[in-house]
Amino acid sequence: MNALAGEFLNLDVMWRVMPMILAGLARSAVLCAVLLPIGLAGGIGAMLLSTSRVRAVRWAAIGAIDFFRAFPPLVLIVFVYAGLPFLGVELPTLASIAIAFFLNASSYFGEIYRAGIRSVPAGQAEAARSTGMTASQTFLSVTFPQAVRNVLPELISNTVELIKLTTLASIVSVPELLHSADLARSLTYNSSPLILAALIYFAILWPLVRLAGRLEHRLR
Amino acid sequence: MSAWDRFAFTFLNLEVARTYWLDIAAGISVTVFVGIVVVATGLSLGLVLAGLRSLGLRVVTWPILVFVDLFRSLPPLAIILVIYFGLPNVGIVLPSLVVLWLSLSAVLAAFAEEVFWAGITSVAPGQWLAARSTGLTFGQTFAHVILPQAAKLAVPPLTNRTITITKNVALGSAIGVSDILGQANSALAMSTNATPLTIGAIFYVILFLPLVVASRRLERRFAWGVAGS
Amino acid sequence: MLNPDGAGAPAGSRLLEARGIRKSYAALEVLRGVDLVVERGELVFLIGPSGSGKSTLLRCCNRLEEPSAGTLLVDGVDLMSPRIDINRARRQIGMVFQGFNLYPHLDALGNVTLALRKVLRLSRRDAEARAMETLALVHLQDKARSYPGQLSGGQQQRVGIARALALEPKIILMDEPTSALDPELVGSVLGVIRELRERGMTMVIASHEMGFARSAADRVLFLEGGVIVEQGTAEQVFTSAREARTRQFVQQIMH
Ligand SMILES: Nc1ncnc2c1ncn2[C@@H]1O[C@H](COP(=O)(O)OP(=O)(O)O)[C@@H](O)[C@H]1O
Ligand SMILES: [Mg+2]
Repeated sequence: MNALAGEFLNLDVMWRVMPMILAGLARSAVLCAVLLPIGLAGGIGAMLLSTSRVRAVRWAAIGAIDFFRAFPPLVLIVFVYAGLPFLGVELPTLASIAIAFFLNASSYFGEIYRAGIRSVPAGQAEAARSTGMTASQTFLSVTFPQAVRNVLPELISNTVELIKLTTLASIVSVPELLHSADLARSLTYNSSPLILAALIYFAILWPLVRLAGRLEHRLR
Repeated sequence: MSAWDRFAFTFLNLEVARTYWLDIAAGISVTVFVGIVVVATGLSLGLVLAGLRSLGLRVVTWPILVFVDLFRSLPPLAIILVIYFGLPNVGIVLPSLVVLWLSLSAVLAAFAEEVFWAGITSVAPGQWLAARSTGLTFGQTFAHVILPQAAKLAVPPLTNRTITITKNVALGSAIGVSDILGQANSALAMSTNATPLTIGAIFYVILFLPLVVASRRLERRFAWGVAGS
Repeated sequence: MLNPDGAGAPAGSRLLEARGIRKSYAALEVLRGVDLVVERGELVFLIGPSGSGKSTLLRCCNRLEEPSAGTLLVDGVDLMSPRIDINRARRQIGMVFQGFNLYPHLDALGNVTLALRKVLRLSRRDAEARAMETLALVHLQDKARSYPGQLSGGQQQRVGIARALALEPKIILMDEPTSALDPELVGSVLGVIRELRERGMTMVIASHEMGFARSAADRVLFLEGGVIVEQGTAEQVFTSAREARTRQFVQQIMH
């Protein structure tokens, strides 16, 4: 029991590596602050393209969405991060991660928005158009708000997934939370830093997981 | 060199492809094997947990909820690293393949339990009463009455979730599993050319694109059943 | 666009003049040349079996559904003209739906003010002031802050009427406004419609409320198979129809 506690819950070690962990946490927060808006906005673009009235656009968009949903995000990150420099394109690491996340997250969020739009009855847009509202006014004020409300649990769940995905940045040496914790582990020969990082992730993500569950229950 | 020539030389280099494609293809068997084992373990564990939860016993439900919430909230890579680097220091040494299998199965089980549970609770309580009143046991009722109805609600989200988690087999490359990505990475290092990554990416797309397309169809077919939800 | 009654003729007392309206969905011809002419201040009832094209006809009148052929004048304005600003024209034509189609994410006030703000570009204050006056007309001023989910069907439909009415349209089209309501709630909606009529509102109502038609409708049109089979006063159509098909249909809905 003591061996377990010493290995996994060593408060002394945790205290010593705390500055490193906090710096990693700050870096993770920056990653999320950049990547989440990119994904949410990219998803709206993907949704608009994949519901386009022009068949060729629609099919191309759906093809691209399925392609990037089939692509493991880590492979996408490694591909962009390790591949582009060979081309002579030197991107900052954050930029290559942002590209990979944009492609992955837009596809997933796009599908969620699309399901949301489909869940709004046609009569809603009809009623709005009958009062003289334009197609774009109708979309912005009537269809989209209801769509988002209907898929809010899925949007939150996917946000959680996206935050988890930021840990993949550690593989391309971005000193985010998990990377810092792993570094601290190798410096201290002790797993407590990893546990500490896991606890931090849990503290941030668990409320969101619960919230999504609650909302889903309410909508059903 | 023109831009296209440079692109082709970097990402579509036939010379490099010829040398390494067999190595990378060997990674497919690892990815597929781990994927299948994870899906089998994760889904059955999730189903068992959901079944246990429907017994309605507090001592059973609480540990299940803790397990489920924990593994839904933690990043899979964090779980993998904790198990892989932590356990040896307390005397338990597991091969990286086993660590990958355990971690991803636990994550899939947690999500599957939630989806199954949502399906089960969506079945009207009268169904339990009706089935039990005809003399069916708890297990028979669960298997023949509740589960088929729950599956309707559960299949689309379950497929999506299963695909997402199976794609995470690529995370094994971080702890030295020689799956497609692991093999492509070594080839990348040896050849100093990005073509192995292209080959790896093509293999992943060949593996997963049919699944994604199938899940889209499945979703459409089941859509009428949950219309308005 | 040719105007069958002479181009540029003064609008006169005709508010809605739809002529030769046709509408097909693929091979199915739903409307087969329907004339619907409504005088200012008139209340016209549209009856006909399910699937006869009542909803389609009403939706063609504000081009929510695009007619395949026909001419459409509202207060002298040619709605089929390629240069028409249809959104502007639709302000003149209110519409009330069988399923209410209230916006569930907005309260009653929000349902009424949305178009006032987006289409008429009124300030929030002006829009809310006008919306409150309109809600008072349908006797719901004290429900302004209730969401559709908190209102009874009859109240929801009256919000739907207020939403159309607030834009001060020249004519209101109602598609079976009471058929989704529990019987005890029908009266409140019909009461509001009667009050609108007394204020001189022009309306076309698809509905099978025969008693109400008798006491309030100026004219009843019987639509079947995409054509107007017969029309006249409520008395004529309900008790002494010329066409056998009309009599048969009236028989059915009386029971
Ligand atoms: N969008 C559509 N596509 C194809 N057929 C339609 C569509 N809308 C209505 N119809 C058909 O047109 C006919 C008339 O429908 P409708 O105008 O709703 O009749 P009513 O309101 O009198 O019941 C019906 O046969 C219906 O199936
Ligand atoms: Mg109808």
